[in-house]
Amino acid sequence: MASQPLIALEHVGHEFDGGRIVALRDINLNFGGGESVAVVGASGSGKTTLILVMCGIRIPTKGILRWKGEPVTSLRQWTDLRRSEIGIVFQDFNLFPTLTASENVEVAMFGSSASSSERRRQVEEALETVGLTDRATHLPQELSGGERQRVAIARSIINNPKLILADEPTGNLDSVNASAILDLLFDLQRARGATLVMVSHAPDQAGRCARQLNMKDGKVMTDRPTVPAREEAL
Amino acid sequence: MNHLEFAFRNLQRRRARSLLTILGVAFAVGSFITLYGLSRSVHENVERSFDEHGTDLTVKRRGIAEPFGGTIPETLIPEIAKIPGVAAVSGQLITFAATDNDDNVLAAGWAPAGFYWTNVPLKDGRVPSRDERRVALVGYDIARTLGKKVGDEITLLGEKFRIVGLTDYHSIINRNQVIVKLADLQELTFRTGAVTFLSIKLEHPDDQAEAGRVAQTIESMEKLSVSRSEGMLRNDSLFGLLTAVSTSMAWVALLMGVLMVLNTLLMAVLERTREIGILSAIGWSKERIMGALVIEGFILSAVGSIVGIVLGVAGSKLLSAIPAIGRYVAVEPTLPLIAATALAAIALGILGSFYPAFVATRASPAAALERA
Repeated sequence: MASQPLIALEHVGHEFDGGRIVALRDINLNFGGGESVAVVGASGSGKTTLILVMCGIRIPTKGILRWKGEPVTSLRQWTDLRRSEIGIVFQDFNLFPTLTASENVEVAMFGSSASSSERRRQVEEALETVGLTDRATHLPQELSGGERQRVAIARSIINNPKLILADEPTGNLDSVNASAILDLLFDLQRARGATLVMVSHAPDQAGRCARQLNMKDGKVMTDRPTVPAREEAL
Repeated sequence: MNHLEFAFRNLQRRRARSLLTILGVAFAVGSFITLYGLSRSVHENVERSFDEHGTDLTVKRRGIAEPFGGTIPETLIPEIAKIPGVAAVSGQLITFAATDNDDNVLAAGWAPAGFYWTNVPLKDGRVPSRDERRVALVGYDIARTLGKKVGDEITLLGEKFRIVGLTDYHSIINRNQVIVKLADLQELTFRTGAVTFLSIKLEHPDDQAEAGRVAQTIESMEKLSVSRSEGMLRNDSLFGLLTAVSTSMAWVALLMGVLMVLNTLLMAVLERTREIGILSAIGWSKERIMGALVIEGFILSAVGSIVGIVLGVAGSKLLSAIPAIGRYVAVEPTLPLIAATALAAIALGILGSFYPAFVATRASPAAALERA
């Protein structure tokens, strides 16, 4: 018997402006535990909307989403999932400028049952994981772009999510930093057995994921395993 | 880090605006304490000045709304003195009178046989003898202000009076009052045979029934009204106007402070759509986001209230230092007034922050992920 998907989209559609703009059309996808999936496609193809729908920040106008088989229908359910099961990494980092690196990570733990000392320990551990122990007390403005994204990644994993959604996580970084951030994301995904769904424009980055979704005009045109580069050349 | 620290950081980030809002709340609270304290202090100071003379009941002309506008015939004094339960009656004529250097003072003319003369606290000099005329007892504070001492002359309504004593009362009104013989003041104000008030000392001041009977008897005699010292200003239109104006201004000031908190938080919410979206994106519930903003409102109004208390106390002292006010009223905000104002400002600040907080939670978290 096939294992139950972590998250499933059934006939999901999303429209804006009373139907004048259709961002997603009849999307049917399953994402299993531990998968790494790249979402590729031209600008305006619906990649970001797909990510937003998968974490409940945008509610689909059609269809249904299931988390471990259970339909997710309320905003409260989505809030709970984002707090404990889904981590999100933004292209623009989206850190709070007045909070230090460690506080930016800790802010995602507000509402958890962990004690303050336990919280501090977990934050230290997360920052160590992303290699920023010595930058814990620095404000975002004192960090490089790569370091900021590492803080954002630490924040996204602090609650041990089962699903990490990354919307062009290297879009604002140079090639060296971009490569390092991707290494970190994939290491974390493998080490924690989490599912990684990553929007990317760069074919080489997408190629590091085991599965690729190609989107166009709000539809998934292809959904296939990534072909290793050498195989493709043959 | 906790919610309080998180809110503090957000306020620190917009330091200038937070500071201005705190100052706005502080001025509102300070104004309320000062203005409301002023209207309360007027009543308290008048009460105190009558109590200090040993007055149990005060008689004045019924239906006259001005404080010193009504007059009573002096001839009523012996009649009222005969009423059972009345120990003594003292008549006094009161007016604001021009004095040296174009200044004005509160002048009181006391009837020669009045009980007021028997318990005058003196700082210096003596009480005038029964037959002396054109002599004055001057309150210690006004004597100092005018640079007068025993033996000097003081001008009242264009006539010279010799100062024979300096009084040492406690109440601010009495400390700034000039006391002369009733006949002298009647002559200078063309009110021969008239007094403004009759002060009554009762045989048993604590006997409410007796006081009621005496009051009833007096009120049935002529067109007179009788009150205890605390009720003296109840029907006084000038003091009523002062109270209404100062109380209204006080409430307007407080309301403005609350609106400032609301405006600051609303602006902060509108500017922070993205941040609020991020909070939502990392799993903060609407209630938690609302709570964070309400905490910011609490901090602004609490810090503003503390600064406002300091300003209010300072403002009260400043008002008291203005001669036109300070001679008659010591503006002293009471602890209950200060506490009630600060608590009201904090409560209104918290209530006022609910609307911006509600607006914040209506914003779409999608703004956080969509490209700026």
